Formats: sequence, C-alpha cells, structure tokens
Amino acid sequence: MKIRQYSRIIGLCAALAAGTALSSTALAGPEDQSITIGMGEDFPTLDGYINTARDGVVMTMQVYDNLIYRNPKTFEYEPLLATSWDRIDDRTIEFKLREGVTFHDGSPLTAEDVVFTFNYWADPANGARVQGSVSWIEKAEAVDDYTVRVISKAPAPAAMEFIAGSLPVYPSDYFQQVGPEEFGKKPIGAGPYKVESFGDGLVKLVAYEGYYEGGAKRTPSIKTVNWRIIPDTATRIAEVIGGGVDWVWNVPSDQVEQLKAVPTLEVALSSTLRIAMVALDAAGRTGDNPLTDVRVRRAVNHAIDRDTIVANLVGGDGEVINAPCHPVQFGCDQSAAVVYDYDPEKAKALLAEAGYADGFTVKLGSYRDRARAEAVQSYLAAVGIKAELEMLQASPSFSGWREGKVGMWYGDWGSQSLADSSASIGAMFDGSSNDGSRNETVLELVKGGASVMDPEERKKKYAQAINIITDQAYWVPMHTIVMGYAYTNTLNFEPTLDELPRFYDASWK
Amino acid sequence: MLTYLVRRATMAVVVMMIVSVICFVLSNVAYDPAVGIAGAQATDEDVALIRKTYGFDRPLVVRFVEYLDNIATGDLGTSYLSKRPVIEMILERLPVTALLAVLSMALALLIALPLGSAAALWPNTIIDRFVQLLAVAGQAIPNFWAGLLLIVVFGVQLRWLPISGSTTYAHFVMPAITLGTFAMPPLMRLVRAGMIEVLASDYIRTARAMGIRPFQLTFKYALKNAVLPVISLSAVQLGFMLGGSIVVESIFALNGVGYLAWQSMTRSDMPVIQAIVLMISMIYIVLTLLADLLNAYMDPRLRGSRK
Repeated sequence: MKIRQYSRIIGLCAALAAGTALSSTALAGPEDQSITIGMGEDFPTLDGYINTARDGVVMTMQVYDNLIYRNPKTFEYEPLLATSWDRIDDRTIEFKLREGVTFHDGSPLTAEDVVFTFNYWADPANGARVQGSVSWIEKAEAVDDYTVRVISKAPAPAAMEFIAGSLPVYPSDYFQQVGPEEFGKKPIGAGPYKVESFGDGLVKLVAYEGYYEGGAKRTPSIKTVNWRIIPDTATRIAEVIGGGVDWVWNVPSDQVEQLKAVPTLEVALSSTLRIAMVALDAAGRTGDNPLTDVRVRRAVNHAIDRDTIVANLVGGDGEVINAPCHPVQFGCDQSAAVVYDYDPEKAKALLAEAGYADGFTVKLGSYRDRARAEAVQSYLAAVGIKAELEMLQASPSFSGWREGKVGMWYGDWGSQSLADSSASIGAMFDGSSNDGSRNETVLELVKGGASVMDPEERKKKYAQAINIITDQAYWVPMHTIVMGYAYTNTLNFEPTLDELPRFYDASWK
Repeated sequence: MLTYLVRRATMAVVVMMIVSVICFVLSNVAYDPAVGIAGAQATDEDVALIRKTYGFDRPLVVRFVEYLDNIATGDLGTSYLSKRPVIEMILERLPVTALLAVLSMALALLIALPLGSAAALWPNTIIDRFVQLLAVAGQAIPNFWAGLLLIVVFGVQLRWLPISGSTTYAHFVMPAITLGTFAMPPLMRLVRAGMIEVLASDYIRTARAMGIRPFQLTFKYALKNAVLPVISLSAVQLGFMLGGSIVVESIFALNGVGYLAWQSMTRSDMPVIQAIVLMISMIYIVLTLLADLLNAYMDPRLRGSRK
C-alpha cells in the first residue's frame, strides 16, 4: 500500500519535530496510572479462540489467564491458574489448580471451567480459528474440584506450549449462559485486566481488582489501558510523536533512526521468534523449473549476501540464521546446518554447471518489506537470475507460495510464538502446502519430532532434518525479524521475544 | 415526467444488478476467501475447516444464486468475522461517514462557490490564476498525502488538532479538509465556467444596463443560474466521497463505513465488502437520480427534451 511509503515523510518530520517538540505526554498518563496505546488491527470479537491474529493474541494475554505461563526470557513454564503439573503418561498431564482464583464476574475458578473450555474448543464444530492448537486434545476431565487431566489423542510433546500459549480458560457458566457471540463482545476471563468497554475503535481495559497474587503475571501497576485502534502506520507514528498515544509497535525499521531523534520517545528494534526465509520451489509446484536442481538452489544460497541485508535493512537485534528455525526454539541446532557463504562467483559456477550459465527468470513473492525484497532481487540479478518481484499483502502473498504460483518466496514465519522446532520446521516441512520441498525423509523426521517424547531423541531428529534441508538448500534461511517499538520514555516497558507486549508488567517511571 | 422517472429507476436497478455481479465474482475469484479469513499463518487444516464451515467448497453459481436470493429478501448477510448482521454493522457506522461527507461537501462548496465566482468575475487576472492553481493542486494531491501533511502540521507540529479518532467534532476537522479538498476542484471549475457563460448572457447585460448593483447582479441573478450543473456534480462528488472516505477514514482512524470497508478488504470479509459496495452504488445511483430530477424541476427545458 502506498500509504506506507509515505510514512517516511512522517519520520522525516519527526526529526523536525524533535527541535520543537517539548515534553508532552498523552492526555492521560502517569497521573491517573493509565496508558493509551495505538494498535493496528480491529477485533471482530474478543473471544481468544477466534481472535487469533497477532493483536488478538496480545489482547487475550491481558484479559485471560491460561493454566500455565511461559517465561518469555527463560522459556520455562511457570504457574498461573495451575500451581503444579505432572505428566502421568505420554498422553496425560495432570494440573493442580490454584484455589481462590476468581473470574472478572466474581465467580470462582474450578476444574469444571477448565474441562468445559478445553472440551468445547477441542470440538472442530465450534470453530477455534487455529485448529492446530486444540486438535491434539482428546478430552479434559476433572479429577476433583481443583485437579484437571488433559488427555491428548497421541503423544504430544508440544502440548505444554499450546496450554501456555493458546488455551485461555473461560468461566463455563457465563459462557454457556450468554453464548459464544455475546461472550466475544463482553468477555470474562481470569486475567489481570477486565474489558470495560469495546467498540468505536477503542477497547478499554481496567485492572481487575480481584486478581490473584503469586502467579507468573504480576498485578498491574498501570490501572487503565486505552487500547485505541488506528489502522494506518503513519498515523500511529504521528500520534506517538504528538503524544496522543503513549505506545505503538510495528514501527517500520526505516523509521527508527528518525524517531530516535524525538526527545520524548524510547525506540527499540527488538528480536522476535519470527524468521524470514527465501523458500525455493524444489518440488516443482510451479511446473518444471531450474529450482528443482539442487545446484541451482545452492547457487541461490551463495548469491545472497545475508550479512549485508541484516546490517543495513533489518537492523536492531536482527541476526542471520542458518537453519530453518529460530535459534531459541527447542531442537533448532544451528550447528547441524550446512552454511553457504556469500560467493557470487561460486554461484555463477554452480549455475553454469547446472546448465544455466545465462541465468533464468523466476517469480519472487514477498510482502513485509520492499527494500529487503529488492535487495534479494538485485543479488540474484548479479549472478544472472532475473527475479520478477511480486509484493502483496501478507495473506495473498502466502497463498501465492502455497498454491505454487511463485518459484521463490521471501516470506516469514512466526511459529505461533511457540519456542519449539515443531512449530517452525514442523510446520514448514510437513508435506502441507507450506512445504515446497516434499522430501520423504524430512517428513518422517518431522513426524517423529512431533510425537516422540524423549527430548534427546527429538533434538536428534530435528538436527537431522536441519542437515538435510540445508544440504538440499530447500530454503535460503535469511534472518530473524525485528519488531519496532516506540513509546514515551517515562514508561518502563520491556519488549519480549514472543512479540506479546505485557501491559500488566509495564509501569510509569 | 413519470415515464422519465420509471425509465431512470429501471436503469438504476439494472446498474445495481451488474455491480453486485461484478463485486461477487471479483471478490470470490480474485482470491480464496477461506485463506483470508484464516489469516496468513494458518495451516491447511484450518483453511479446510473454514472452507467447509462457510460453504466455500460449493460451486460459485450456487453461492451467487443464494446471495441474490438473500439480497432480494433484504438480507445482506452476516459478517464472516464478527458473525453479526452486516446491515447492523453498516448502520452503526453510517453516522460517522455521513457526518464526514456532509462536512466535506459543505467545505468544498464554501470554497468553490465564492472562489469560482471571483475567478469568473475577473477572468485571466491574478485572482483567476490563483483559483486555477488551487483547483489543480486540490486535484493533484492524493488525499492520503494531503491527510498526512495536515497531520504533520496541525497534529504533530502545532498540536492544534487531535490526530485520529472520532470522539469529538475537532476530530473531524482534518478529515473533512482532506476529503473536501478532494471534492472541491471540479466544483470550482464548474462554477467558474458557468458564471462566465451566464455573465456573458443577454439577460445579465440587460440587468446591468438597468443599473443593478454588481454584488446583487452576481449573486442574485448570475449565480442562481450558474449553479444548476453544480447540483448534479455535487451529487456525483458525494458518491465519489464515499469511496474517498475509505482512505481518509483509515488514515484518521474514523470508525465509519469507509474504514469498515478497508478492514473487511484486508481480511476478506466478503459479505461486508459486498454490502458496502452495493450500498455505495445505491447511494450513488439515488443521488444522481435525485440530481437529475432536481435539475428537471428547476429547469423545465430539461424535462421537455426528454419526453
């Protein structure tokens, strides 16, 4: 969209504004312990199982609590609604619930609520938006009022990730009484904030005064979150410069330098769990094409200077990756990867060997960042590969790759914020439409990695998969994606790797 | 007059039919709606489930007939995302868009009428040139750009106006200027051309000869006649504005129909897109029809020629 390009102008003016802008904060702020944030996406509903786009997951995190919590720094599981848990066998985990927890309507949390929530959403007919996070559940059952067992259909090593990341607990009585549609408008959870109002481009969150102590989420210091929905990036940036909002994210990396010049703002380009790759059509989904030849794919790997792209166009905490997964993910052994140096001469030689000394033409799909995509395009041109760039919105771009309409796809993958290779390698090399390689051995390894329980065994399988994938050069693993934040510098806020800002952890200085 | 009315109404219905066909086909063929609803990072299973749940696996023709059938009974459908009736979502947001359109139109006319007249009174002078420049600038600057410039100046630098949202009237100032500037140039040009023509006509010369004062002459005698085509054009421009509001409302985060349209497009919420397109074309058609009738009423010559 053109609008985004013009956001540069705002950034330019930000530098100008730096000269004139004296300290001014949003209308509300430290005085009444409130914060106004500018977010990009509107919500069709506040139901955490339907509202699963990124901003929705962030909302879910503030309003609802899950059984357990994943520490975004250590990636350890910590107690939340459950105080302890045990694996009874390969398919069963038993949770002891915290006593004395209440939902926002004051009703107490019991095993019945957990059992109802999980069983309800495990039924595909009820339409949980991300089936992957619930389809593994066979059933949940109550042992007593404060003990719950969750039983999976097959051994599910990633079960804890889903329970910590994607399965908020609902009050069963209220949900059944009002029905799913009404629940989405007036949700009730057990999280640190309750929804006071929702509509007209604003969600007002107020700290729940009955929130329990001792869980992994802290009782909010900021009492009111005015969650404003401002769809346009440039407008959001203008608002944070002008002081109309205190906090924004998704700041484009080319804006960061200029925003840093604004004296009232703190700006960060922080790491995320998201990885970018140039996926190559090795299976020939676009028809018979040069990329089905491994030499050509290796040539493409040698042709792209990833270090330069990361240093100049990604910036911040961005780093080069060598394996098709994020370095912090379980099982993502970077040392198992075959690494291709930037070597255009070698690339040309490989192309010549494969019979493409004069290069070839291929379609390159991408969506997030035109500058990066054009850099790849020009590196490819330097070795004789003419890439026709097709920049689209995220969804159509994804479809272009999945439906085999582009031979190369410079996209990225967020692993649903799960710190396990089953969510990256396991989702991109699983024989689904994401998978452009369709390698039988890799498929077997990935299947094993998602069902074997022994951690060492799993590590070994993913290491093997990484080795085959990189040796066969199915991808050019590119880099991690950074997230740009800009917020009033009197705010204590710490970005996390999982791209889930926690406003209950923020405070005013 | 009656046959004229019937003919125009029939044509309006036909146009709307065509619009709905094009809209339906484009939104379903261009892109798989199931993928749009599922979101970028959904798995094949998620997409398959959605395809089945929403009935996208059925043939296009079947779905289209069903869609027409629903429209015929006044049912615009239910949003895929919020599961709410589309008509309810649109009506809820219509006041914001209507207010924006009216304010913008008023602003456009407020600028176009006096400046256009001034340019006509003193053609080929510095005043005329200035007005022409304004018209060209207004037309040439895309409204998302104009909006951002306003934001930079009045929101960020001077801090006179709130940048985004729709809670107070102050929030409508910048959007209305943006959209008004976009609608103003053709109106201004038409006023100028109309006035030049009328001022040169015999009855004005007669009036002038009778010693009627210039001010009265211009505004009471000339403008009244020059304004006729402006009415038709205003109707057309108001229709265009509904389209322009998609961009303007998104920039200024006004929670109106335009923003709803943009949001539904990015998420492939087909029933909402279809309903909005249908509604915009309906408003457009009705406005043009009304303008024609109004013109016919004000100028009997038009009526006569169409018998």
